[in-house]
Amino acid sequence: MGKKTNPMVKATNIHKVFGKGLHVLSGVDIEVNKGETVVILGASGSGKSTFLRCINFLEEPTAGTIEVDNIVINAGERGKQRTEHILGIRKKTGMCFQAFNLFPHMTALENIIEGPITVFGQEKKEAIRYAEELLDWVGLTEKRDEYPSRLSGGQQQRVAIARSLAKKPKVMLFDEPTSALDPELVGEVVDVMERLAEEGMTIIAVTHELHFARDVADRVMIMDGGNWVEEGTPEKIFNNPDHERTRQFLAHIL
Amino acid sequence: MTADINQPEKIGIPKEARTILKRIEADKTIYSRKLMISFFVLAVLMVTSLIVLGLDFKFMLKWLPFIIAGSGYTFLVAFLAISLACVLSVIGALGRLSRNPVINSIATTYVSLIRGTPLLVQVYMWYLALPQIGKALEGYGFTGIQAWFTLPALPAGILALGVCYGAYMTETVRAGIQSINIGQTEAAKAMGMTGFQTMKRVIFPQAIRVIIPPVSNEFIAMIKDSSLVSLMGVWELSYRAIKVGRRHFQSLEMLIMVALIYWAMCILLQYFQEKIEKHMARGDRGI
Repeated sequence: MGKKTNPMVKATNIHKVFGKGLHVLSGVDIEVNKGETVVILGASGSGKSTFLRCINFLEEPTAGTIEVDNIVINAGERGKQRTEHILGIRKKTGMCFQAFNLFPHMTALENIIEGPITVFGQEKKEAIRYAEELLDWVGLTEKRDEYPSRLSGGQQQRVAIARSLAKKPKVMLFDEPTSALDPELVGEVVDVMERLAEEGMTIIAVTHELHFARDVADRVMIMDGGNWVEEGTPEKIFNNPDHERTRQFLAHIL
Repeated sequence: MTADINQPEKIGIPKEARTILKRIEADKTIYSRKLMISFFVLAVLMVTSLIVLGLDFKFMLKWLPFIIAGSGYTFLVAFLAISLACVLSVIGALGRLSRNPVINSIATTYVSLIRGTPLLVQVYMWYLALPQIGKALEGYGFTGIQAWFTLPALPAGILALGVCYGAYMTETVRAGIQSINIGQTEAAKAMGMTGFQTMKRVIFPQAIRVIIPPVSNEFIAMIKDSSLVSLMGVWELSYRAIKVGRRHFQSLEMLIMVALIYWAMCILLQYFQEKIEKHMARGDRGI
């Protein structure tokens, strides 16, 4: 047994209250180890997206602690240090959105080099070289100079994945990356996600893609009413869940 | 992809569809021809009415160079004022969106105050009332400040127009910034960008496309409002026309001439506006 290392992502007792009393997350914990792929499932409104967005502070947790690759922020933290910590976590975290959110005024390549150049001050030549490598990796070399409006949804999402990989993140967050896609385009995006998992990326994905959950995830976690109902290996969750709520939910989406 | 109807056989369009497509195309040609004729008739009518009115064209031609010489001032005032307005409107919009209460309140008051008072009053304020403020300040011991507060006509006019249009354009720019989907901000933030980087690299370049048409509109309006500086005796277009017209009791000729010159200038600007918009539309589908 080697020395136990810190988990890559650790969230402790995360609460999120919207407005004056909409309690969306109630004390959520998670630990995700390096190289692990975790899929979060749950009915809409269960808080799974909100939780994912709390990890990189797109949604600010009302209480609790987030830790990503040894950068720790407490929800109550204020001031300059907090801003630095948030930026620090975001620099280590890639995120893909349901609506892709590519920058429409930039070509595929420009989208990918934007982060390395603006955020990390990388040299343009070097950024372009790596971006071309990434485009090749997601199979879109020939779309290098196209604007997003000329790409299909699946292609856009693959560029978005390449974009978030450009900064060499430690963790990838996927927020329903295939929900806005036509059914025949889902495969190409899931395929890229699978290869990413195989290459050892730490992944937390909110998705309804059960095929991905079953074949790729190391762990499946079910959320309901703002906290976990149950977690386990895909075999366990899909074949023999402990909780009635899990069974109901799976019956709905299977 | 749109089918090329001139070569329908290539893409297997049936014969009866081809007839209909041809008729649609012919209708389009007829319409644009009729439109051209209408415009032409309208132009002829306008020219004839000028002749019927018995305008003294010789007189107009004689004074044309003198009047046109004033367009330099008009362009100078409008161009400098719109530049000032652009800078103010970006600062103003960021102020209006700011979470800092001091900055936000200043920006909001600026927009409210300037939009709520007539431009005419503002022009006089900069030109006639500002020196009085300078005098008052001098009384409080700021020696030498009155000279700074006494503006010549041209700078006063540029400031008045620039500050006024800046307030209107602040709201245009703010609306443009707010029209950009929240997902763009989120993507930029998730990338690790600071608020400033997000604004500069992601939001503003997209907002500018939304903002350009209304701003061009403001510029065209500004060309005409620049005639207000004539109130302070700047020899720009309309001032010259009015002066000459009054002196020779031929105001009609002069006013019609100056109106046509303004119109021509605005048509020119509109042409450039369309060019810029086309350039800005890159990244849109089908370009």
